[in-house]
Amino acid sequence: MKRLVSIMMEEKRDIWLSVLFGVLAGLTSVALFGLSGFMISKSVLQPPLYIITIMTALLKLFGAAKAGSRYAERYVSHRATFTILSNLRVSFYEKLEPLAPQIFGKYRSGDLLARIVGDVETLQNFFLRVFYPPLVLVIVFLSTIFFTLFYSVWIALVLLGGLVLTGFVIPGLLALQQRKVKQGVRERRAGLSTEVTELLYGFRDLKLHQKLDEKEEKLLQIADAYVQEQEKESVQAAASQSLNAAAALSVAFVVLALGAYFVTIGELNGLFLAMLVMISLTIFDNAVPMAVFPAHLEDTRQAAGRLFSVVDEEPPAPKMGMIERDDAFSIELKDVTFRYPGETRPALQNVSISIPAGSKTAIVGPSGSGKSTVMQLLLNMYTVNAGTILLDGNSMGEIQAENIWSKTNVVLQENHFFYGTVRDNLKIAGDGLTDREMEDTLRLVELPFSLDDPVLEKAENLSGGEKQRLAIARVLLKRAPVWLLDEPSSSLDVLTEKRIFGHLHEAAQKDTLVLISHRLTGLEKMDQIVVMERGNVVEAGTFNELMERKEYFYEMKQIEKNVLA
Amino acid sequence: MNELRKWASEQKGIMAALLGLSVLMGAVIVGQAYFLVNVVDRVFLQNQSFGAVVPMLGFLFGLMVIRAGITYANARLGVNMASKVKQRVRSILLQKWTQNPIQTAIQGQSGGKVTVMMEAVDGIDSYYREYMPQVMKASIVPLIVLAAVSYTHIWSGLIMMVTAPFIPLFYIIIGIKTQKKSEEQLDKLAAFSGQFLDTLQGLQTLKLFGRAGRQRDVIQKSSLGFREATMDILKIAFTSTLMLEFISTLSIGLIALEIGLRLVVFDSISFVSAFFVLVLAPEYYTALKELGAAFHTGRGSLGAAEKIKAELAADEQPVKWGDREVPARPSVELKNVHFQYGEGFSLKNVDVHIPSCARTAIVGATGSGKTTLLNVAAGLFDPQEGDVFIDGRPRASFSESSWFREVSYISQHPYLFSGTIEENIRLGAPGHPARAEVEAAAEKAGLTELIRELEDGLDTKVGESGRGLSGGEKQRVALARAFLKKPSFVLFDEPTTGLDLKTEQILQRSINELAQTASVMTVAHRLHTIQQADVIFLMNNGEVEAAGTHMELMKSSESYRAMVQGGAAG
Repeated sequence: MKRLVSIMMEEKRDIWLSVLFGVLAGLTSVALFGLSGFMISKSVLQPPLYIITIMTALLKLFGAAKAGSRYAERYVSHRATFTILSNLRVSFYEKLEPLAPQIFGKYRSGDLLARIVGDVETLQNFFLRVFYPPLVLVIVFLSTIFFTLFYSVWIALVLLGGLVLTGFVIPGLLALQQRKVKQGVRERRAGLSTEVTELLYGFRDLKLHQKLDEKEEKLLQIADAYVQEQEKESVQAAASQSLNAAAALSVAFVVLALGAYFVTIGELNGLFLAMLVMISLTIFDNAVPMAVFPAHLEDTRQAAGRLFSVVDEEPPAPKMGMIERDDAFSIELKDVTFRYPGETRPALQNVSISIPAGSKTAIVGPSGSGKSTVMQLLLNMYTVNAGTILLDGNSMGEIQAENIWSKTNVVLQENHFFYGTVRDNLKIAGDGLTDREMEDTLRLVELPFSLDDPVLEKAENLSGGEKQRLAIARVLLKRAPVWLLDEPSSSLDVLTEKRIFGHLHEAAQKDTLVLISHRLTGLEKMDQIVVMERGNVVEAGTFNELMERKEYFYEMKQIEKNVLA
Repeated sequence: MNELRKWASEQKGIMAALLGLSVLMGAVIVGQAYFLVNVVDRVFLQNQSFGAVVPMLGFLFGLMVIRAGITYANARLGVNMASKVKQRVRSILLQKWTQNPIQTAIQGQSGGKVTVMMEAVDGIDSYYREYMPQVMKASIVPLIVLAAVSYTHIWSGLIMMVTAPFIPLFYIIIGIKTQKKSEEQLDKLAAFSGQFLDTLQGLQTLKLFGRAGRQRDVIQKSSLGFREATMDILKIAFTSTLMLEFISTLSIGLIALEIGLRLVVFDSISFVSAFFVLVLAPEYYTALKELGAAFHTGRGSLGAAEKIKAELAADEQPVKWGDREVPARPSVELKNVHFQYGEGFSLKNVDVHIPSCARTAIVGATGSGKTTLLNVAAGLFDPQEGDVFIDGRPRASFSESSWFREVSYISQHPYLFSGTIEENIRLGAPGHPARAEVEAAAEKAGLTELIRELEDGLDTKVGESGRGLSGGEKQRVALARAFLKKPSFVLFDEPTTGLDLKTEQILQRSINELAQTASVMTVAHRLHTIQQADVIFLMNNGEVEAAGTHMELMKSSESYRAMVQGGAAG
């Protein structure tokens, strides 16, 4: 929370302006109603006309000032909110950046990023809904109470009691109540979401196994329980709001009764009674934002907790090692065993692969065999549980990750493209790339795009094959000496794949190249083929060696031949 | 809006109660002002003793209690209505989906449907919980207040009547303007707001290309751009609220001036009436402003309602069933079958006969209708034209449960439900087979080794919340399901590639074993599968282009030959 305040406080000026205008708006509205009550009472006493004129003019003035300051308050506070959002994003990005991409491996759930974005957005409400409403409320109330002190200490005390009750006690009680209910709502919601997902994705199996009705009934039961829990939450909120309204009315009532009593015993001039009553009726409008205050407080507290726990990870100790050479280097896995966090079965078990500098290696195997895991380890996304990985003869544990990335051309199974243009997405491959170079590369991978063509979010306007070719174009432009390619052409047809691989091999002539593939075609030219199954290397050799040996690779090749196009 | 209103009108009782409470609320507000004014009047002008106003204070207190009670009851009714509508909408949606057999074929869209069931349904909540009670209250209370004021002092009433229409009018103008403005800026806003997530998602790529450090400025720039674009829209909204404040303040000022003058100059109104009008005037304008604000609240639910409506509008073609029992090992025949859904799935003029215990294979290019044919044969879809016969009788005369008792369907991507491996194998097995039978089925499906490796064995949790199994392992669980069920009709969508050798071997062996006691219909991708088939149907563009054994088709069909040789050459 403290750190949140310090990020927020970067916008001091707007924050204090918001408070100032908020207080002004609150006070003028109290003044407006107080004055109108006073005016009516005064009018009865037949004052000179100019007094009425002055008071009417004042009324207009207060009215205008109230509306104006309310406008200014809203404007400034919202501007501040969005600026704070921007600061929050930048600040979290700066903290998250050094931790990536390893942190994505640790939180394997794909929604980590969406959650971060959501939580940051929740935090923007901290200022608007948590920080300044109580500040404004207290200042307005205390000023008003100070004013009423001149007329009656008792009435001032009653107002003070009202402030404590409506501004803090009742919302606080609600917050306490809701903590538990909200937990229940969340749990039921998660339950329902799982049921709906299972029903829809498992529809065919449910139907065929005649379990659909059973599932449907269960789903509806959980849906009802979820709604009931939500209802509990809403009813509590409604009760709290009504209670708050009742408290405000009671205060006005007590002010009236007390005032009336004081008037009858002569302690208060009757002239001011209407004014005091009007003030007590109006001032509680200012407490309205406090109804949502605890909920927002709780939300921000949780969001901040989650966010900071993610970015507070110790960044890995800085590694000093570098790969000295600028040309192709060798890669060697020695007895590597690796298990994904939270899994019991190892993804790799005693894997040894030797890839000499400048050689071309293919890693093949069925889905789930661990071939992509090898790739992730080479990119330093995870640390091995046992064994070592040597790059250019140096242990990977000592080499700067940035150094590895800068020396590799990586195409992943899923490649990210940024919202923008084709040019934007190619430009990240290197500084000083000319349009000509980029266009030539696009032609090389047979993409008919112009550099100004738009790329939508997640490249949803590109087909799978186009995305893969754009990713290949991007690494062709990067020209690093080591290539790590994870099924880079799975969505391309065989002929296009062949042509593009031709270009790749040409570009990587002197480079080290590791290709992960589940297709077994076009591997004849490789120096080495490594066959993996269930986290183990089952055999390795050249294409001809493996075909002659007639074991796993040969069998897989037979099946592939057997598969109809 | 229409759907939302329709669901609201189904809750007649609650609507009536809301109406009644609003009328009562109006009366209470008027009564409260009346007693309040009179208490002040009596002690201030008439110099009565405190004791004399105690009864009035008592009434006043009573009214305030009632007012708080009505506020609560109103909110409570809104919550009730929201709950009832949400429950109802969820069950309508669910019914719609489960009755629509096409659901099996469009699992790709399931993610969107989950969102509709969760977010969209929750999104209509505020319409019933806040908007309906608010609108009801805000449209009735001003009328009652206006009547009370007009009765007391017609001139103030007239001012109220004249000024009132400006407020809703203003809201409408603002609504249109802000909507236009936000539509203009929509792309910009979406781009700006998505940038942060886009950058985070691309962080790995940025790192690999050594660009991550520079993105900080991009994020700042887009966030500030978002601020400017949003403030542009908000400014309109704030300015109009300012104007509304002016209108209501000026109107109240006008009323105050008018009664003030009458009180002082003309002496033509009593203090009680003047104060009464003055207390009620803000109630009147506040209620009107609430009405405008309520429309904004209601707007928020519109998008959600649209999404639900779109789901409900999809047409459904439920499969027809009867009550005859399906005999053991039936033959299945499709006669002149037509089927069309969207662009992807179509069948034209399909005639297929599958004798009892026969092995059939369906081959053809992607999109030729193979899987659709499998789904029609499985009883998941009904043909739009033509008929399906089981043992010579129309399928519609047999009972659904007796048919599915005889069927197993092994898809390319079997779904595992959250639960243990054993529960997943038991799914759909008739009766309650002993654990040993489950183990035997797992053994036949080649799962024994995997189960031995796992700490909890058959009781290991899989699915959503449990561990993930590889594609090959899921296939084997699906096989185990079939072994336990002992069906007489097996539908098999052969995987294309990506399976391990072991699963490949087990699949072949298992299908052979299942074929001993059942008809097997396979969407085939492997040469040996079609070589073993009694009859092969070559699909092209939704039609059966050729049928026969492998040998016959090699002789008679050129496209079959091309396909087989093309595959073998790869």
